[in-house]
Amino acid sequence: MQLVDVLAIALVVVAAVALFFGESALARAEDLQALYWLIVGVVSLRAAVQVARPGAKA
Amino acid sequence: MGAAAQAIVPGIYAWAVTVAPAVLDLRWDRGSVAVWAHGTSVVAKLAAVMAPFWLAAGPFAERRWDARGRVLSLWGFVLSCALAWSAAPTTVGPLRVDALRGVAGMMGWALFALAAAAPALHRSQDDERIVQEAPLVPRKGQSKRGDSAYLAGGALLAALLQGVGWHVAGAERALLVRFVALAGGLAVIAATTELALARHVRRVPRSRARRLRSAMAALVALALLGLTGVIFGLR
Repeated sequence: MQLVDVLAIALVVVAAVALFFGESALARAEDLQALYWLIVGVVSLRAAVQVARPGAKA
Repeated sequence: MGAAAQAIVPGIYAWAVTVAPAVLDLRWDRGSVAVWAHGTSVVAKLAAVMAPFWLAAGPFAERRWDARGRVLSLWGFVLSCALAWSAAPTTVGPLRVDALRGVAGMMGWALFALAAAAPALHRSQDDERIVQEAPLVPRKGQSKRGDSAYLAGGALLAALLQGVGWHVAGAERALLVRFVALAGGLAVIAATTELALARHVRRVPRSRARRLRSAMAALVALALLGLTGVIFGLR
């Protein structure tokens, strides 16, 4: 396992935590906070996939 | 997989939507957990608990006694459910059956009948393959167990996301939270699947730098979002 794989896993966990906070804020009707956390979650997932995607063709 | 095994899931579903609600009533009652519905008889409790065991025993009985074992499991399950339902306090009065639950129960039992009566599905590895070439072999040091760990982790995170927002007051907001939770869970599972698949692709030297460079836009955006959150949080 390379360092970038660990980084990708960490980013997925960060994304899950951010989505969790986003949903909680949405449930409390705090829409601005919810939007912020959901965007953080989506961007983290995107970064995780980009980091994990290999640099060359198979 | 035998016919008894393939009937387990629809059988459990049918049990869960028809028998379980008539007998079980999980709730906090003066500091202790109450499991059974008020006034449930011992016969109903015993029959309701035994029913899934008949189902679970089906594959073993089928392996040992073939069709006779399957029939025994099927009738044991159906009769246990019928006994539990008829002996339950909230019994079969037509006015007491919720319409939606009635439709769900009807579909559940229809599915169960279909799965129990259908011929057993046999897995053939050749039938599942859609390419002619030899099967791919995992590269050295990249086991299937690693892929399973990735997928299990993703499924766990997605399941945790489903635990939020079950007590939201408004129906619209509750639906919105459920929708966001489902979408978030699916996105997490998709991302972990991508991570697992990426392990099997051949990498070239210096791919680490290249991969970081390709992810730089998303990482910078994430850093900016984090900074924004800190700034607004401190204000």
